[in-house]
Amino acid sequence: MPVIEVADLVKEFRRPKRQEGSFAGLRTLLTREQTVKRAVDGISFQVARGEMVGYLGPNGAGKSTTIKMLTGILVPTSGTVRVAGTVPWRDRARNARQIGVVFGQRSQLWWDLPLRDSLWLTGRLYDVPTARFEEKRRQFTKVLDLGSFLDTPVRQLSLGQRMRGDLAAAMLYDPSILYLDEPTVGLDVVAKERIRAFVGELNRESGTTVVLTTHDLDDVEELCDRIVLIDHGKVAYDGAVAELKTRYAPHRELVVQTDALESVEGAEVVRREEGKVWLRFDPARTPPAALVASVLARHEVTDLSIVEPELESVIHRIYADRG
Amino acid sequence: MRALRGLRVYLLLAGAAFRAEFQYRGNLFINIIGGLFYQGVGLAFIWAVLDRFGQVGGWGLPEIAFLYGLRLTAHGLWLLPGHQLVHVDEVVIEGEYDRYLVRPVSPLVQLLTRRVRLSSLGDLAGGVVLLSIASASAPVDWTPGAVGFLLLAVLGGALVEGALQLAASALVFRMKKVSPIKFAIDMIFSDFGNYPLKIFGSAAGFGLTFVFPLAFVAYLPATVLLDREDELAVPAWLGWGAPAVGVLLMYAAYRFWERQTRHYESSGH
Ligand SMILES: Nc1ncnc2c1ncn2[C@@H]1O[C@H](COP(=O)(O)OP(=O)(O)OP(=O)(O)O)[C@@H](O)[C@H]1O
Ligand SMILES: [Mg+2]
Repeated sequence: MPVIEVADLVKEFRRPKRQEGSFAGLRTLLTREQTVKRAVDGISFQVARGEMVGYLGPNGAGKSTTIKMLTGILVPTSGTVRVAGTVPWRDRARNARQIGVVFGQRSQLWWDLPLRDSLWLTGRLYDVPTARFEEKRRQFTKVLDLGSFLDTPVRQLSLGQRMRGDLAAAMLYDPSILYLDEPTVGLDVVAKERIRAFVGELNRESGTTVVLTTHDLDDVEELCDRIVLIDHGKVAYDGAVAELKTRYAPHRELVVQTDALESVEGAEVVRREEGKVWLRFDPARTPPAALVASVLARHEVTDLSIVEPELESVIHRIYADRG
Repeated sequence: MRALRGLRVYLLLAGAAFRAEFQYRGNLFINIIGGLFYQGVGLAFIWAVLDRFGQVGGWGLPEIAFLYGLRLTAHGLWLLPGHQLVHVDEVVIEGEYDRYLVRPVSPLVQLLTRRVRLSSLGDLAGGVVLLSIASASAPVDWTPGAVGFLLLAVLGGALVEGALQLAASALVFRMKKVSPIKFAIDMIFSDFGNYPLKIFGSAAGFGLTFVFPLAFVAYLPATVLLDREDELAVPAWLGWGAPAVGVLLMYAAYRFWERQTRHYESSGH
């Protein structure tokens, strides 16, 4: 049973057409002509309960616009969204209780109040019983390491601290679905790692369904099994991360530390450096075991490893290919 | 049950806004005095006019002061919860409204409680003081019924002004910038609201009753309380019905706001 169902989803933004020439400003104001921007152009996908999906695409692809329709912020121009039986924009309040939302670019916390107050207010707004609230706050304070800045006004928090605060507030009331729109943008490696660990644990322990947009593909490699890749408002790929790699980057590389290696059957030498040789091969045609065996049989090898293509370079290839 | 939860949430959020305001402590009195001063200037102007001409449209100082006090109290009563609508343009254009839509609370309540502005307490306090003094000297027979009607009229007046501001604010979802319209509405209330409407002539009187329902804020209820129904071009029951008009207009404005919310476009990031 899918928990999120999106079918033929479209969102258009209309703007009065900008006029050129004399009195351009005034004519822009009076015109009825409009330019239409189709930010989301017929997207369909489903997410099963407990799944973690990376929702990817280049800048302006329509990711945030989709998330805003899933969360009930925007009303679709056409198409349907159902989230756990609700139509988000119509049953806003009901939907709000089952989802947590974190926008990396924008905080949901009370800017002028200490983080502690934001958490407390969130608990009250979502009717979390006091005992449960205390338990959750203690748990999140520990896992997200909020202790040192619980009493600091949110406006004074660093980006990483604020993001952790936002994540805690979003999960205080145990929503079963979590939307993350660029949750790691601008964070250092340690902060990113902490957020990934937190989200991963939520999913394992509570079965939280996660939809994640990001430009940091390490987020996806670490958390998601599945990717929905969109471009110009349309789905370009929907499937497993591994499958994406085999489709777009079928080759593996065997890196061998050796004295002299000219060539090997079934593989191509792509790079040589400091006594190392990179051999590219297609595992479908040349089984890795056979390749390794034939190298070892003929050469003096001190070290050897097989390198998987990184998602980063795969996505890079896809973006580059679309021209 | 729902109304109770609504009230609880409102107080919770208003309390948070209040605490936030006091993070920058001590502005309270400056703000209240600012509000009082602003209204004092308006009152001084009418005082000068009356001093010169003795009467305005047959209304003497006690009657005018009563009318003024009634309108000012209604205005302050609306402003206290409603002033944050002033910021509706930025809230919508910058996408702050996003977060109101993902919480299980009325977005309008969240908008109204995003900050407190304590100078509206000055308007309200000024209004209440003036209305109390004027009520004592105005020729009104203060039966319990009359007192009750006065209270309802203040509430109704607040609702009428609030309804117009709310309806104008609702246009923001399509038009993106409504502050000029809202400013104009505010000007009309403060420029025309403090005088007996009949001095503006019958066309303007009609317009300010049925097109822009300013008359229901203070002029109509004050006229019936002062027993001056004879000068009205409309039946007296419209004056007695002013509080009900306020409720109806606010209901309509709220529905309009809810519908317009669907046109919210967020911001590009
Ligand atoms: N409120 C809006 N009004 C007008 N156009 C918008 C609005 N929001 C988004 N757009 C346009 O819709 C397109 C998709 O924007 P969206 O924010 O969904 O992209 P995104 O995939 O999230 O990109 P990014 O990776 O840069 O965050 C863009 O061309 C953007 O300019
Ligand atoms: Mg985005």
